[in-house]
Amino acid sequence: MEKQSFKKWIGTRKVQRRLVIFTFMFIPLLLLLLFTYIPFVKMIQFSFYNMKYLGDRIFVGLANYKEVFQRKEIFGSLFNSLYYMAGGVVQLALALFFATMLVFKVRGESVFKGAMFFPYLICGIAVGFIFKFFYARGAVLDTILQGLGMNLDNIPLWLQDQSINNISLAATSVWRYTGQNVILFLGAMMSVDTDLYEAASLDGANRWQQFRYIILPSIKSIIVLNIILCVSGCLSAFEPPYVITNGTMGTGTYFVIMNRIAHENQKVGTASAMAIVLLVLIIICTIGQKLFFKYVFDDGSSDESKAAVRKRKKAEAQRKAAQKKGGLV
Amino acid sequence: MKKKLLSIALALTMTVSLAACGGNKGGDGGGGADAEVPTIDKINADDYKDLKADIKILTDRTDIVDTVYKGYADQFHEKYPNITVTYEAITDYAESVTRRLTNGDWGDICFIPATVEKSELETYFTPMGDYETLNGIYNFVTEKTYNNTVYGIPNGGTAGGVAYNKKVWADAGITELPTTPEEFLKDLKLIKDKTDAVPLYTNFSAGWTMGAWNDYVGIASNADADYKNNKLLHQKDPFSKNDEMSGPYAVFYTLYEAVAQKLVEEDPASSDWESSKGMINNGEIATMVLGSWCVQQFKDSGDHPDDIGYFPFPITVAGKQAASSGGNYAYGINNKASGDNQIAAMLYVKWLLEESPIFADEGSIPALKGEPLPDSLAEFEGVELLSDNAPKEGEESLYDDLRNTAEVLSGDYPVCEVLEAALYDSKKLDDLMNEWNQKWTSAQESFGVEITE
Repeated sequence: MEKQSFKKWIGTRKVQRRLVIFTFMFIPLLLLLLFTYIPFVKMIQFSFYNMKYLGDRIFVGLANYKEVFQRKEIFGSLFNSLYYMAGGVVQLALALFFATMLVFKVRGESVFKGAMFFPYLICGIAVGFIFKFFYARGAVLDTILQGLGMNLDNIPLWLQDQSINNISLAATSVWRYTGQNVILFLGAMMSVDTDLYEAASLDGANRWQQFRYIILPSIKSIIVLNIILCVSGCLSAFEPPYVITNGTMGTGTYFVIMNRIAHENQKVGTASAMAIVLLVLIIICTIGQKLFFKYVFDDGSSDESKAAVRKRKKAEAQRKAAQKKGGLV
Repeated sequence: MKKKLLSIALALTMTVSLAACGGNKGGDGGGGADAEVPTIDKINADDYKDLKADIKILTDRTDIVDTVYKGYADQFHEKYPNITVTYEAITDYAESVTRRLTNGDWGDICFIPATVEKSELETYFTPMGDYETLNGIYNFVTEKTYNNTVYGIPNGGTAGGVAYNKKVWADAGITELPTTPEEFLKDLKLIKDKTDAVPLYTNFSAGWTMGAWNDYVGIASNADADYKNNKLLHQKDPFSKNDEMSGPYAVFYTLYEAVAQKLVEEDPASSDWESSKGMINNGEIATMVLGSWCVQQFKDSGDHPDDIGYFPFPITVAGKQAASSGGNYAYGINNKASGDNQIAAMLYVKWLLEESPIFADEGSIPALKGEPLPDSLAEFEGVELLSDNAPKEGEESLYDDLRNTAEVLSGDYPVCEVLEAALYDSKKLDDLMNEWNQKWTSAQESFGVEITE
């Protein structure tokens, strides 16, 4: 009797649904917990200890955080991220340009798309090695420039000259990610109704006007998303400086220095504190950007910015007030 | 449903216990010491003329396993026709062997990986003899000794010095090798003026090649086997300059000045280790500061193997020069193998260490004490070869603790800092060394180290 009822119970739609949901969710949730949240909580815990990978751990309170804020080279390294942010701006502009070119009929469209997306498929370490040789003295870049008539003595040492080496490194990440941005933008642009272009060209709009008044407003949200991803990516730039210069010659970004402190000097506690400080910084930056875009572009989801809306409403209110006044008179 | 769950649970437990079975089997398999294995000093080849065994030896030298090493196995086979030796080369040596050791069935002889701690040696390896006896016969046995018992004997050793291209140095008109940093710098200057070669190639971009400079801080700069593990830990301001130009300051002074006087490659940031080997071989590079293990590689990288030489680091302390020397990988014998195999393995190791041409072939310091140095180390005649003495009890990890906390002498970056300071002329060496002194002092304070030196 009881078995019968269990069978019945387990057979009901409600229970079956829950069972399915539970069993399907269990493994992903377990993995998420095991490999993301537990390590993260552990990292917060580590940041309060003076510890190596092996051996005793000593609780030191906030000393690690104090060290992070006191050491010049740690916060100085965030300055290097500015180079990558400038690179990010160039990257977005280039990507928008290429995507716009490709969205209109172009001969050999897929070849260009493939060629531009290709760098993104190469792993970051390999990109690093490619550019290490690309920038080496008398190697690829120098040879090309000499071919163009430049004298070797006038060509800077791309990785050593401190006025240019961070730009060299940021350029590698522009090279790598532009193609990916192009594809993302192109995807968004494809969803724009092609009739609009036709209508616009009938009205005599040129390509720039089409871009400014049709394409840009319709892909605003994806641009905002890319900018946010780009800024947090720049703060945590790692692969180019790690592989190409190992953070020497003044190219050490925050992550490279964190890696050095954690692995070469075995200061796991300090490195964990650095990671948490960076996390907080990234959160602050992201919220700041969100607020900024919300105010200026209304998060990219509406055609009008908050500022513009306010201005219009104010004007309306004034007009109404004037009407009322006029009515009374 | 319930049944299914149960069977899944059952299957899981079975898999787990099966895995456990595998582990156990490794532990007690093989049979262990069913015959008494004599120590390496007492073993007598004539007693085992009839011993039949097939033994396997693991090595990291994938490049020469089928040529040079196979040749040793054949020579041994001629002498002991009943014993057959086969080599197995492993690419990812240290890691795979560490994993395989836990399962007793890995072979009979291996190079003991550095991951095996001294206290674990007796778990995996057959004792080769007691420390006092073997220390009188072989070099570097201290490294694999635990509780006065030796579990592994290094396959010869290397010395710390400077690799150079003899032809380039001779072309520059240098007849006598330098013994002080100043002489060294003067010679580098001569090379720069008189030849087209890069006087000193730093290999900056590889990173570990810069870390190699730290190796000269102990013995080469102080001629004292007690310095690194004992004195340095209790020394006040170890990086200060002294009148004699010795000590850690002298090591970094050599690098700093070489860079400041533009005696290194033009663009250290794009230097390349792999091609530098060929360049020193054919005379495009005059000098590199690296351990003696590099000599053979430089010789093999081009058509002028005879041009490569090696001399001690140019620092003279109280009129004498010293060079640090240490053991290569040590041979260890599997204590889980059968008794016959262990005896055969012991015979082979003894033959390799005492009779085979392995040390001349590899250009390393022979295992037997009193044997002449290989040709590649001929310049070390008259130079004292020392190995760092063990730290005092209770201070085993203090050196690592101090250098990690101070972030000096640890990893590659501090040495890179020296080069950068000289390259951009951004910091005087004395200022940098003072910073290091401060870091060292505060690290000493944080560990409560007594300053006695």
